Amino acid sequence: MVLELQKPRPIWQIMFSTHHTDVGLLYLITSLAFLFLGGSLALAIRAELFLPGAQIIGDAMTYNRIFTVHGTTLIFLFILPFASSVGNYFVPIMVRYKDMAYPKLNAIAFWMIPPAGALIWLGFADFTWYATPPYSIISAPGPAADMWIFGLKILGISSVLGAINFVVTILKCKHPDMSIGQVPLLAWSFLSSSLIILVAIPTFAAALLMLLTDRLGVSGFFNPAMGGDPIAYAHLFWFTFHPEVYVLVIPAIGMMYEIIPRFSRKPIYSYNSGVFAFVLLSIVGFSSWAHHMYATGMSFTEKTVFMVGTLAAVPASAMHVFNFIATMWNGRIKFSTPMMWAVGGIALFFSAGAGGVANAAMPLDFTTHDTYWVVGHFHLFVMGTIAFGSIGYLYYMFPYVTGRMYNETMGKVHFIMSFVGTVLVFFTQHVLGLYGMPRRVFDYPPIPEWIAMNQISTVGAMIIGVSMAIFLANMIYSSGKGKLANTEDPFGLGGKYYYPFEAKNPSH
Amino acid sequence: MKLVGLFSVLAVLMVIPAVDLAFAAGDEPGEYLDRRVVIWNLFYRLMTVAFTVGAVVSGTMIWQCWRFRESHPQAKPTPYEGTDW
Repeated sequence: MVLELQKPRPIWQIMFSTHHTDVGLLYLITSLAFLFLGGSLALAIRAELFLPGAQIIGDAMTYNRIFTVHGTTLIFLFILPFASSVGNYFVPIMVRYKDMAYPKLNAIAFWMIPPAGALIWLGFADFTWYATPPYSIISAPGPAADMWIFGLKILGISSVLGAINFVVTILKCKHPDMSIGQVPLLAWSFLSSSLIILVAIPTFAAALLMLLTDRLGVSGFFNPAMGGDPIAYAHLFWFTFHPEVYVLVIPAIGMMYEIIPRFSRKPIYSYNSGVFAFVLLSIVGFSSWAHHMYATGMSFTEKTVFMVGTLAAVPASAMHVFNFIATMWNGRIKFSTPMMWAVGGIALFFSAGAGGVANAAMPLDFTTHDTYWVVGHFHLFVMGTIAFGSIGYLYYMFPYVTGRMYNETMGKVHFIMSFVGTVLVFFTQHVLGLYGMPRRVFDYPPIPEWIAMNQISTVGAMIIGVSMAIFLANMIYSSGKGKLANTEDPFGLGGKYYYPFEAKNPSH
Repeated sequence: MKLVGLFSVLAVLMVIPAVDLAFAAGDEPGEYLDRRVVIWNLFYRLMTVAFTVGAVVSGTMIWQCWRFRESHPQAKPTPYEGTDW
């Protein structure tokens, strides 16, 4: 066990450590800080849209800045660092190695995140997380846009360094007695997502450089006035960021693969299908990027290819869902907080996937393109699946990190409120999109249906906001004054269970 | 003269397909498609499938959460409890 808080150390010892659990702790604290920062921006957005007209945000430009930083923060500064935290804590122990393969590189990868976060937050750019050209290269204001580009550049390098470390740790540093077929599914999820990062990120790295030189006026790759094409940017961006969706979701599914068998008191139903589905998702993730671009005048053949490529992800995703269901079947399930989050995450994953299938059909995509349907759909993935899996795993690892137990009642209240809130916000946004409300708007006409659905959505967001306040209080209080955990069996599952992170790696 | 003959043949060869097409167009009037109707029709069909599958999967999950919870009267230890699995 790690038991960070039972053995207090000077903060600098953790900050300058290269030990994998210390780096994992730094990733964890940083990602949670950005979760609350990005989440508070979400509340501001929803409060603004409660009624037509300006409410709490003065003007459209400020609104654009808020939702740009909201999206950038939660994707790049919460979800990815949180996954890295879990990977740092557990991947070396799962493959029975003393640390990550390159401990110093690991620490460097982490320490790139705070400056990148500072650039994004101090700049507060306004061109969406997509950095929409040609606006972003022609008229997006001053240092903010450039700071965002540099911030993303740094985060990309950090991701690549982290991915190299995970791949080498898993493939080259695993214990000689352990075959690749015995590596736990959580580690497999990190292997899959790291390989995706290594293939996908360089494309966006190039696109960011092109965006920057376009802004400086020395090139015109995406500037129509100089013969460039913004659609080229769309291809480069989505070639990276559609696979990136799987980079985000695969570790969350890996976390569910740890939680569900433990709390069902059964091994996973099919390890091989889990591995196969991870690998399949990693491959088909690259065959679907242009489904974001059906409305850009692509040929029918191109659209058909990408529609089929998108639908190819369905069997792989369904394999995970059915694997979870089959694992729980005939189990003796203990619904502690982590299990509730994991099961809720599966249900919402399935709902998000069903919406995605409808969205992938190109005729329907034209109806829903750039509407609130899209906002509801991808938030159901990032919040309903990825954040649910991650938060569930945070509760799961809490006793191992702190040596104390969180308050179970508060954890369950957190889950119930978040689940209800998520359904209210994002299911409603699907319908709102079908009613034609465009996304990324500061104001909207006073159509009664739009007002009602925006209000439902805002109420849901406030419920999530309150639940997150409960979560924060629980984490802070319990990590210092919570009941001491029985670290052999913190969740009272009984018997002798295989906890892959029972081992301790000595500090060095 | 030969050149005129060649152009005449080529002209006939070009005109004939056009004439055929004109006749074909006259015989088969174009089909009128209301794209909104087609799209919403597809949407409802897909939603029917999605809600049916969704109901089955969600129903199964809800039922098994209720049936296999540890507090269920018929809950019994799994064969793996107390082992190293």
